[in-house]
Amino acid sequence: MNRSAHDNLTDAWRDWWQGTRNVDFWATLAWFDITLRYRRSMLGPLWLTISTGLMLLGVGPVYAALMKVPLSEFFPHLTLGIIFWQFFTGAINDGCGVFIAAAPFLKQAAYPASLFVWRMLARNLIQLAHTLVLFIPVALWFGLPPSGRMLLLIPGLLIVIVNLHALGITLGCLCARFRDVPQIVSSLLAVLIFLTPVFWLPQFLPPGRLQYVLLNPLAQLLDAVRLPLLGGVPALGTYWFLLCFTCLNIGIAGIVYMLKRRQLVFWI
Amino acid sequence: MAHLRLENVSVELPVFGIRAYSLKQIVASAATGGLIGRDTNVTVVRALSDINLELRNGDRLGVVGHNGAGKTTLLRTMAGAYPPSHGGVTRSGTVSSLIDPMLGIEADATGYENIMLRGLIVGMSRAEIRRLLPDIAEFSGLGDYLSMPMRTYSTGMTMRLAFSIATAVRSDILLMDEWMAVGDAEFRARAEDRLASLVANTGILVLASHSPELIAKECNLVAELSHGRIARLERIGSPDESVSGVLANA
Repeated sequence: MNRSAHDNLTDAWRDWWQGTRNVDFWATLAWFDITLRYRRSMLGPLWLTISTGLMLLGVGPVYAALMKVPLSEFFPHLTLGIIFWQFFTGAINDGCGVFIAAAPFLKQAAYPASLFVWRMLARNLIQLAHTLVLFIPVALWFGLPPSGRMLLLIPGLLIVIVNLHALGITLGCLCARFRDVPQIVSSLLAVLIFLTPVFWLPQFLPPGRLQYVLLNPLAQLLDAVRLPLLGGVPALGTYWFLLCFTCLNIGIAGIVYMLKRRQLVFWI
Repeated sequence: MAHLRLENVSVELPVFGIRAYSLKQIVASAATGGLIGRDTNVTVVRALSDINLELRNGDRLGVVGHNGAGKTTLLRTMAGAYPPSHGGVTRSGTVSSLIDPMLGIEADATGYENIMLRGLIVGMSRAEIRRLLPDIAEFSGLGDYLSMPMRTYSTGMTMRLAFSIATAVRSDILLMDEWMAVGDAEFRARAEDRLASLVANTGILVLASHSPELIAKECNLVAELSHGRIARLERIGSPDESVSGVLANA
C-alpha cells in the first residue's frame, strides 16, 4: 500500500489544521500554564517584568555612554530589543522541548502535533505581553509620539509567529530525536544575541562586509517588530528577506511534519 | 456506528541507547567511519506482530497477557497514538482513550479548573464542559473541595474526580487500561453503576486487565497476547445478540 506523496501532504495538512483550529484546547492550556505559574510563586511571570526592567535600567545608561549616543535614541531601541529577544529565545528554547513535554499526550491518543506547538507559542505570547508593557513608560518618558506606523507591528508580529511556529515544529522533532540539540540551539542563540542589534545600534556597523551581520534571520525578524514601535518603517529589503526566509522555514517544517509527525511518538 | 479493524498490524518500537539520542555522537561516528562514537545504532523491538481483529458495535474485548506482552501498545495503536509499521487500522466513531485517566491533571489547579482541563484533553469543547460541569461536580461528591487546589486532595479524592470526568464523556469506542476502581465503599458502588452505564452506552469496549474475573464479567471476547501476538482469541459467554465477525488470528 504505497501512498502517494500527495496523500501524505493532505494528511499532514489536515492534521496540522485540526490542531490549529482547536483554539479552545491550546489557548486554555497556555492560559493555565501562566496562571499556575502565578500561583506557584507570588510574582509569577511578573518576575520577568521586574528583572527585565532592572536590566534595562542597568545596561541602558552604561551602553549609551559607551557608544556615545543620546539615551533618548538608545534606550527605546534597547528596551524593545531585549523584550523581543527574550520572546524569540523563549519560544525557540521552548520549541526544542515542545514534543518531549507533550509525550504523555501523544502516547495516549492521536493528538495533532501542532496543538502543542500552538500551546507553547500562546504561552510565550502571554509572557511577551508581560514585558512589552515596559515599553509604555519608556515611550512616554522619551516622548515617542504614537503614529500610524505602529500598525506595522501587526504584520511584523504575524511573520514572527509563523516563523516561530515553523521552527517549533522542526526543532521540536529534531530535539525529540536528538537530545543534545537543545544545548546546541541555546549556545547558538547566546552567540546570535551579539550579532543582532540588541545592545548596539545598526548604524555603528562600518559600511562594507560587516553589514552582512544584519542578514541573520533573527535580526531581520527583530527589525520587523521593533522599527514600527519606534516610529520607523522596516526597509523593503527586510520584508523581502523575511518572505524568502519564511517560505524556507515553512517548507522545512512542512516536510518534517509530513515525514516525522507519526514517528515522533516513538522518540519520546 | 462503532467499528474498529486491525489488519495484519505490526508495531515496531525503536529503542534508543543513550548514544543514539545524541546528534554529536552520530555526526562524530559518521565523520570518523565509526572510530569515535560506536554503538550508535538503534534496536528495534517488535511490540505487536500480525494482529488481526475486527470489532463491531456491542463488542467488549478483554485483553490479557503478561507484563510486556503488548497490551498497552495494542491500546495505543487502537487509539491512533502509535502508527502501525505494517498493516492498517481503520476506525469509525469517536475514540475515548482512558489509558491514563490522570493525564493533564494539574496539582496546583482547583478541582473545577481540572474539570475544564481534563474535559478539553478528552476532546470536549469549552461549551460542552460547562454544560457537564454540574453533573461532574455532583457525581464526584467533592463539594467545596472543588474550589481548592488538587494538591490538597487525598489520592482517593483525586481519583474520584478523575473518574467523574473520564466517565462523563460518551464515545463510540472506549479504551481502558485496567478498570478504574476508586474511592470508599459508598463511592465505589456509585462508580460501578456509572461505569456500567458508560460501558453499556459505548459501542466498543477494549479493556486490558490482569484480572480474569473482571474480564469474564465485563467482556464477551477475550484476546490473550503473548510476545506481541494474539495467542488466543475467543468468545466467552456472550449474552449479546449483536454477534460480530472476528477474524481469526493466522
